[in-house]
Amino acid sequence: MNLPDQLRYSSEHEWVAVDGAVARIGITDFAQDALGDVVYVNVPEVGARVEAAGSCAEVESTKSVSDIYAPVSGSVVAVNAALAATPELVNSDPYGEGWIFEVAMDDPAQLEALMDAAAYRSLVES
Amino acid sequence: MLDDLRVVRDAAGQMEADLELLEAVAAGGPPVLRLYRFDPPALTLGRFQPDDDVDREACARLGVDVARRPTGGRALLHGPDLTYAVAIPEPGGAAGSVDAVYRLLAGGLIAGLATLGVDAAVACGDGAPGPVCMVTQQGADLRVGDRKVCGSAQVRRRGVVLQHGSILLGRLPFDETDLVHGPVERQTLRARTVTLAELGAPTDPAVVGEAVVQGFASALGISPDPVGHR
Repeated sequence: MNLPDQLRYSSEHEWVAVDGAVARIGITDFAQDALGDVVYVNVPEVGARVEAAGSCAEVESTKSVSDIYAPVSGSVVAVNAALAATPELVNSDPYGEGWIFEVAMDDPAQLEALMDAAAYRSLVES
Repeated sequence: MLDDLRVVRDAAGQMEADLELLEAVAAGGPPVLRLYRFDPPALTLGRFQPDDDVDREACARLGVDVARRPTGGRALLHGPDLTYAVAIPEPGGAAGSVDAVYRLLAGGLIAGLATLGVDAAVACGDGAPGPVCMVTQQGADLRVGDRKVCGSAQVRRRGVVLQHGSILLGRLPFDETDLVHGPVERQTLRARTVTLAELGAPTDPAVVGEAVVQGFASALGISPDPVGHR
């Protein structure tokens, strides 16, 4: 299982990459493998408010629709438009081209509540 | 629970009732099963299926209700079927994967159908899905031989999996190919599906429903929804 050390992880299987006050968010390698082939991603709207632990996007795979949760609170400043035509990027490159949305964080201190790679590995392997 | 087979709800109301199961489990309730039918017949669409797939004029002409499911997948005609819905807490780790939960819940359906003399098995993916659910098979579905007898789909929300699906009892004079745009042939749909009637199994919804209840109880310890008596 690929778990990059530089990312933070949520218990709902999202990853967060931080660049200043902006958090880029996607789902983990574990999550994409558990979902199976992703056929649709319903991304949030740019400008939408998201709250930490709140549902803000959906992904469909094998006739299963799963909620995606915001790891941090803030405003959506970008979404991955490529997922409309190529949702399978979530499977093939979950930490790269398969990113889902970016949030301008209200409070970067919320990142402290997320897990590092070792803690997340323990969660999914337990 | 089997009283629910007589409860009259429109198609959208049936979808709302299924989501109530999810909410009940999310609130700490036990895993729960519900069985129901659609009257009048209804075409349900997957959560993200394009509206353009539906021939609304044909649906109106044939008296078919149209509703959108909270679950994935493609268009499915309800009426000559028995629909089940089951909600369970999402298992942790690998046991919670989409395919693993489909296989888990298939155990209840397969056990129930076996008591009716139907030898069903979990299906395998057989191609990219078109606009009609029943034409293709995925790991979500059940087959008898190589023909689909039950199509299922899920929604996962608040730590709960809601799965519902359609067990084919018989056929109406029309089918999805009359109601959905796209290159789907009636002959293909018929060749790729099989009904309990065609298998010589019981088709009385109460009998099939009781078998499914017993299957979920014996395989998974899941009981019917007492709320279904409303």
